[in-house]
Amino acid sequence: MTMFWDIVHLLTGTPLIPVAIMGLVWGILGGALPGISASITMALVLPFTYTMDPAMAIALLACVYIGAEYGGSIPAILIRTPGTNSSAATVIDGYELNRQGRAGEALGISLMSGVVGSLFGLAMLVLLTEPLSWLALAFTPPSYFGLGILGLSVIASMTGGSLLKGLAAAVIGLMIATVGTDPISGVTRFTFDVPDLLNGVEPVLVMVGLFAMTELMSQSGSTNVTELKESVRVRLPSLAMMNRLRRSQTIGCILGLFEGLTPGGGGSIAAFMSYNEARRWSKTPEKFGKGSEEGVAAPETANNTVASTALIPLLSFGIPSSNSTAVLLGGLLMHGLLPGPRLFEQNPQVIDSLYVGSFVAIIAQVGVGMLLLPAAVWLVNRPRPYRAGFIFALILSGIYTLNNATFDLGIALALGLVGYLMRMFGFPFLPMILGVVLGHMVESSYRRSLVLSGGDMMVFLQDPICVGLLLASTCFVVYSLTREVRDARKARLEKAEKAKLQEAHG
Amino acid sequence: MNKDGWSGLVLLALAGGYYFATGSIANSTLEDEVGAIGLPHALAVVLALIGVALFLRSLRTGRTAATDGRDEQETDVRLPRALGFLALGVVYVLILPYVGYLVSVALLIGAVAFYEGAPRRWTIPAAAIGGAVLYWAIFVKLLGVNQPVGTLFEGLL
Repeated sequence: MTMFWDIVHLLTGTPLIPVAIMGLVWGILGGALPGISASITMALVLPFTYTMDPAMAIALLACVYIGAEYGGSIPAILIRTPGTNSSAATVIDGYELNRQGRAGEALGISLMSGVVGSLFGLAMLVLLTEPLSWLALAFTPPSYFGLGILGLSVIASMTGGSLLKGLAAAVIGLMIATVGTDPISGVTRFTFDVPDLLNGVEPVLVMVGLFAMTELMSQSGSTNVTELKESVRVRLPSLAMMNRLRRSQTIGCILGLFEGLTPGGGGSIAAFMSYNEARRWSKTPEKFGKGSEEGVAAPETANNTVASTALIPLLSFGIPSSNSTAVLLGGLLMHGLLPGPRLFEQNPQVIDSLYVGSFVAIIAQVGVGMLLLPAAVWLVNRPRPYRAGFIFALILSGIYTLNNATFDLGIALALGLVGYLMRMFGFPFLPMILGVVLGHMVESSYRRSLVLSGGDMMVFLQDPICVGLLLASTCFVVYSLTREVRDARKARLEKAEKAKLQEAHG
Repeated sequence: MNKDGWSGLVLLALAGGYYFATGSIANSTLEDEVGAIGLPHALAVVLALIGVALFLRSLRTGRTAATDGRDEQETDVRLPRALGFLALGVVYVLILPYVGYLVSVALLIGAVAFYEGAPRRWTIPAAAIGGAVLYWAIFVKLLGVNQPVGTLFEGLL
């Protein structure tokens, strides 16, 4: 009964409903803009949350994530351009349906499948997160070190095809994390007598710099013109249609749950896997690729499920498994909130707001999604030069709100340049962000463990949790490495075969 | 030399510079076994090793392998444009303390629109002024952020 009144209080005594709706609106509009991924949409709003109540701030970010996953399907269906990475699989059948004059229907299926996936994901989040987080109560400094290493091992699966480059990016992230005051001795490192650097480089600056700035710089001078039809209206699927989509939505839910829990998984992998499985299990597999409703439902259910289930490892252990959850972790850290059981004990209002806010956003998604479509279409149709100007000004204005310091603007611009060069040379971003976010935890828990053990390295092998986590990290890295080697070999063989065929044909 | 080779050299230089900078870290009486300098030293060494490995790999794979990605090639071509875009942000940061938020944002929106190829019509200044007023209303009036007034205008307010 107390829980019921807590929820009533949250809904009536706090600005949670408007916050959730605002987050949803922002997420849908941001996700609908081609090139602006869910993580960028979240990173853009992150500085604004600085002055907000932490509970509302985290709820807002979670709702942005939910909205962006649906928003991404709008350009995917209407102009064959996925607004977010995870909506890439929706392009295949969504755009085919659009070509057949059924764009409204495709958008409706995407919207309702998103709601189904999000509700399932939220239920899993509520059921699994807290029990898992209690494991963390038994954590000692060596265990936290093991946990940090497990978080960093995600890098192995996020290297974009080059483990060396992924590792380099992670090391650079760790280097950035060493700037500021040393966590044990209190001496300053790499501050160069600049007072603004005493507290280190805030992860939010790294995220905004790498994601948002780099994207704007990359899009500079682009001549891609995106034009959406303004007459499109969402047509919600009938009950009979929802019944027909049940199988593909179930597949999306299961794979979304699995990928959300897996470090290095994510919406795009879940969406493509669900698309494939839905085709395999479908009664009409021949329709896939030619405008299948199931081909829209499966990936959209999956990526929306991931938007909630990816929060399970984040809230339980502080392990971000994707760019978007890394931004959410940045939001938690910015408000001094550490994931784990203490978050549930000491800041239950943050967790409650996140759950209830997400639920409000998911339910409101149906109405807001339909109402907002014309606005999303209008926004995407604005001339790119003006859009770039407004987004750039928004980013710089938002960053200033963090500390009222122009120094932060300089850092974000510099990181934008770093991000651009990284993209140019094929370095992935996520390892660097993980390095920045986890660097402090890894270093301080490692050194604290050694202080407690009097410098005996065996302390890490005497702690069963630490050993388990280190073993899990090793398995994860070995698995990722094996996969990378196998993929590289496969690509080489395919290339050789292609060359042979070309030779044979003269 | 391909991109991996250049990346390796840049990482080596970065590792060297970072290692050199660790010299500025002071000793502390609260020093533990690893010390404030321990992790930075280790990171510098690891980055240098990765740099060497990348460089060696580039020698082995040659020129062809590095620029397979379309995305990478596109970013190459657009580097000067991207730097120009970034420069507009740098100018914004430089003028912000002097001319204040409202004027800086208006100039930024206008300059970016112009730089990105918006037609030279009244719409550029209109969007710049409209956008600046909108952002000023959101940030200063609604969110209560103390955006700089600007030293040039301080006497007027």
